[in-house]
Amino acid sequence: MGIKMKKPEILAPAGNLEKLKMAIRYGADAVYIGGQDYGLRSRAGNFDFDQMREGIAFAHGHQAKVYVAANMVTHEGDSRGSGEFFRTLRDMGIDAVIVSDPALIAICMSEAPGLPVHLSTQSSATNYKTLEFWKKEGLERVVLAREVSMEEVREIRQKTDVEIEAFIHGAMCISYSGRCVLSNHMANRDANRGGCAQSCRWKYDLFDMDHVATKQSLIKDDDEPFSMSAVDLAMIRHIPDIVGAGINSLKIEGRMKSIHYVSTVVNVYRKAIDTYCSDPENYTFDPAWEEELWKTAQRELASGFYYHIPTEKNQIFAKPRKIPQYTFAAQVIDYDQSTKMATLQQRNNFGVGEEVEFYGPGFIHHKQVIEAIWNENGNPIDRAPNAMMIVKVKVDRPVEPYYLMRKKR
Amino acid sequence: MIELIATAESVNQAKSLLSIGIDTLYVGQDQFGLRLPKSLTMDEIEEIVQEAHKFKKRLIVAVNGLMHNHHIDDVPDYLSKLDQIGVDAITVGDPGVIMTLQELNLSLPFIYDAQTMVTSAEHISFWVKRGAIGAVAARELTLIELESIQNKISVPLEVQVYGPTCIHQSKRPLLSNYFRYSQKNEATDKDRGLFLAEPKDPETQYPIYEDQNGTHIYSTEDLSLMPYLDKCVQKGLRTWKLDGVLLQGDRFVRMAQLFVAAKQAIESGTYSSAAYETKLYELQPTNRPLGTGFYLKQPGDVQ
Ligand code: SF4
Repeated sequence: MGIKMKKPEILAPAGNLEKLKMAIRYGADAVYIGGQDYGLRSRAGNFDFDQMREGIAFAHGHQAKVYVAANMVTHEGDSRGSGEFFRTLRDMGIDAVIVSDPALIAICMSEAPGLPVHLSTQSSATNYKTLEFWKKEGLERVVLAREVSMEEVREIRQKTDVEIEAFIHGAMCISYSGRCVLSNHMANRDANRGGCAQSCRWKYDLFDMDHVATKQSLIKDDDEPFSMSAVDLAMIRHIPDIVGAGINSLKIEGRMKSIHYVSTVVNVYRKAIDTYCSDPENYTFDPAWEEELWKTAQRELASGFYYHIPTEKNQIFAKPRKIPQYTFAAQVIDYDQSTKMATLQQRNNFGVGEEVEFYGPGFIHHKQVIEAIWNENGNPIDRAPNAMMIVKVKVDRPVEPYYLMRKKR
Repeated sequence: MIELIATAESVNQAKSLLSIGIDTLYVGQDQFGLRLPKSLTMDEIEEIVQEAHKFKKRLIVAVNGLMHNHHIDDVPDYLSKLDQIGVDAITVGDPGVIMTLQELNLSLPFIYDAQTMVTSAEHISFWVKRGAIGAVAARELTLIELESIQNKISVPLEVQVYGPTCIHQSKRPLLSNYFRYSQKNEATDKDRGLFLAEPKDPETQYPIYEDQNGTHIYSTEDLSLMPYLDKCVQKGLRTWKLDGVLLQGDRFVRMAQLFVAAKQAIESGTYSSAAYETKLYELQPTNRPLGTGFYLKQPGDVQ
């Protein structure tokens, strides 16, 4: 048995209370959520104060932390009320706020002293001096820009002791964060206030012009149009590097993502980090982790900027390859050991004869063919067609509440 | 007093711009500054600062890049050198550079320029408290917002009155990647002169190129506040930038000359925009439409 490593925090997105709880049950050490104001995900489920209180109670009961993203880049008047907002968060026990706008940072520091502030990735922090600057200003943590390489992370770690948070999984802006206003110009939606229309993923014509403005397209008939769509980040193959670089918090992107996605991704990284940190010397990467990530992946996966500047292979131009996707079919709400019956809450249509997979915290998985389904009145049914309907199925291996059931698409 | 700031691509162009009455020149090197007409050598910058001072004018140098570790390693020497040759101010967007300035204890003042992020008076005040002597406003602001900001801050707010504006910076070589993907052999630099058109609006033409800082995309129109310059003055907006990043040589000088004339007319109370607008259209390259960007919108139009 070798030396154990200090474990970094796994930080998961939580678009609502249900996702918050699920992320923590599946092993997140911390979650980040959005409030009703000052955030960047106006369309992600956001928390009101009561929901936040419930989330905090749950998280703290499980030794997990809750951060609130307030990473809007404010215009005149947008910061109104933010002092009160930060004070309320502090007083209810939020563990930190994630902010990029210096106006909001200043307000938070003066109006809600004691509430830790993390610099959002929106500020594109890319060098050690910048981290030192924010440390001196009293920030507890800086989220690195996604453009920082592994080599650079190591150097930053050597030169400053402020906490470092870095993305390890999820979708990425193709621009430097905060430095893209395509959406403002093309769709009248402010990317830095949560309105981004993902214009980067559109298909563009690419052309040159002579001095009398005659356009000549470079894209021939059967060419794919120009686009700026990045594949997603996945650092599962590089856990030793990530931990070794001294990153304090490993961030998973996706406040808009489903419970299925968040539970799966957290489960995988929890397992990988625990495996590595308990015995780094004998650690080997388990391909099953990556296979698991593919089950909820929405795009191809790559290592972002950590090892090289992304090439054309890390962008999407043509129709993406069909990724074998799974659907979230049900959640286990009860299990009776004597009868081996699982009570399920339906999330997507499934029926007798289908092969499904149950999975639970601790990277537990088992396949199951559905042999019979009973409805709430105990009558056998062929399919479970209605959203949230409660049914029972017989399972070969024990399951527990909060295990999830998925099936192939 | 209105201050007209113009980019300069060379010592020669700098001299011309000074001789026609530009108040402040703006130059830099690609390693430290963003989206300059040309990356100049330290010798050229030194010559320009001397020329500017001969005319009792100022030189601002762009140090507004997003610095990675290897950039920031080189920043102390660069700043010391700029200070030593007498540069009047630098633009800065990366707090690491501000930290370095403080550590070196240089007298070189800085103007805060974090591009798209500079959108409120409170934000700017944060940097003014930390030494900024001015700020460059995001191009995505309306005149209503700009006025409100300028009224609340104690330093000049620089507003772009002419030229293209950057709407996207990626560290990825987006053009090279595409050309490799589609097996085309094409240059990707600024001189190649490539444009994007939106899928739903084939009339749009967003300039795009790569340099050592990544890929840059510009607005489909060149901004021009020519018809509203007097309004700007009334609103207290008196620090004007002319950006010649996509307009070379003498053409940019002539454009600048027109703005100098407009400025003088405003100062002497004889300005009427129509004649200047006509001239502007004559000088403007046919492949670059003119527009007012976000300036005339209502603050609630874009959210
Ligand atoms: S358009 Fe794309 S790169 Fe730009 S902010 Fe939106 S997601 Fe990010």
